[in-house]
Amino acid sequence: MSHPSPTPLSGFGLGLRIPHYDDFLETAQPVDFLEVISENFMVEGGKPLDVLAGIRERYPVALHGVSMNIGSSDGVDLDYLARLRRLADRFQPLWVSDHLCWTGVEGFNSHDLLPLPYTEEALDLVASNVHAVQDALGRPLVVENPSTYLAFPEAGMSEASFLTELCARTGCYLLLDVNNIYVSATNHGFDPDDWLRRLPLDRVLQIHLAGHSQGRDMLIDTHDSPVCDPVWALYARFAERLGDVAVMIERDDHIPPLADLLAELAHARSLAGDARSRAA
Amino acid sequence: MNLRERQHAFAVALGMGAVPEGVDAHGMAVYANNYRAQLRACLREAYGKTVLWLGDDAFDANASRYIDRHKPSSWTMDAYGEYFVQWLENAYPADAEVGELAWLDWHLRRAFSGPDAQPMEVHDLVADDWENVEIDFVPTLRFRPMLSNAVAIWRALADETPPPPVVIVDAGVGARVWRQGLSPRFASMTADEATCLDLALAGASFGEICAALGRTHDGEQTARIAGGCLGAWTAEGMIRGLRR
Repeated sequence: MSHPSPTPLSGFGLGLRIPHYDDFLETAQPVDFLEVISENFMVEGGKPLDVLAGIRERYPVALHGVSMNIGSSDGVDLDYLARLRRLADRFQPLWVSDHLCWTGVEGFNSHDLLPLPYTEEALDLVASNVHAVQDALGRPLVVENPSTYLAFPEAGMSEASFLTELCARTGCYLLLDVNNIYVSATNHGFDPDDWLRRLPLDRVLQIHLAGHSQGRDMLIDTHDSPVCDPVWALYARFAERLGDVAVMIERDDHIPPLADLLAELAHARSLAGDARSRAA
Repeated sequence: MNLRERQHAFAVALGMGAVPEGVDAHGMAVYANNYRAQLRACLREAYGKTVLWLGDDAFDANASRYIDRHKPSSWTMDAYGEYFVQWLENAYPADAEVGELAWLDWHLRRAFSGPDAQPMEVHDLVADDWENVEIDFVPTLRFRPMLSNAVAIWRALADETPPPPVVIVDAGVGARVWRQGLSPRFASMTADEATCLDLALAGASFGEICAALGRTHDGEQTARIAGGCLGAWTAEGMIRGLRR
């Protein structure tokens, strides 16, 4: 079943976080959109939905989930999808996104973005799950690349090839987290530019920019610090090749004052402007 | 190993801190650490005042043992701490305030994003046949009997003032939690009010509530207590309507 394509947005936004609710509700902030964590608003009532209603009156909103579990061999949770559909129907987001991962199986939910073996079997399963998601939501899904810390011996394709084939089979779109590309490339020793070259760029609707931490053995996707220089550099090279995309800073922990994030966003705007000039 | 087997083995290993066949131990350690750290953070956030009361070390030790025993199953992390009140009650059987603080933490949090309801206004508190009227409460309302002054302790912790010493309170008193508008609320209840609320939530009519009070109070006292409860509950946004 095909679904209406999302309208691309060329602009710059932020992930909405609790410490900034009043900043966004009381003053028009210089962002083109906000992204909210879907599960935080898949609640029965109260302040979360009241806040989101106020936000939605003022800004375009994208829904970004962490529990869709599209890589689970159990299949997708139809009750979860029904709740997400109600949220999406009420707030009419730009699009709905989640991660290329599994979060649980057989009634267990890790609440983490667990890695998939990139095999034909997994591709068949994820494609089937994405079709089920898109039918349940009545809109295409936007799929984000996660940071990963291990690979599986049975994997026969790269993450980029897996995502490319997933787009071809399901009509889904892509949310590229440039930090996650950098983290995974460093951890697994692949070339992030080569990774990007393999992707169907016409399917990319959104970019995440974030920070990470140096763990004992590898980089850890903590999203708790400013975007680092290598990630900015990767984004700058990538921006030359992209069309209309929504670019945002995603901070999940150690949330700074909004002004700090707006300053990072201004840097992203500047890099994108430079990239357009070079490409022209 | 097919995908189902792979995911089963991975999930089992994750909970045990083990390494499944064929994967890098360093990478697996990152996932195992994330798993436990997220659940611990979830419990600390849900039980904020209990953390302050117990202290980080005691709370985290309980959280760690709870994580060992309780595998998350819901799509929402908000559900993960559902059994932690009972866990703490069992862990601190001689310290009633611990479980009671945890109960307040948990239900205030649930009330925050619980179902919406339009409360009844005080001027709508009229009925032709009070004897048979039943009370319909807002869906976020919860109550329990209390053995300690946990309500006062919770309030002091929230206000960042020195909490009072633990006091064992009179038998039968209670606490209630609900949401008024967008704000979660809580209050202590006398034994009489707790009796009235217990009966009302069980579906007793106003007449039956008064009859129960009449076993220990005279008519004037019964009318004052039952009417006082009804008026306070309405003024505080706890009542959605009257069923006749």
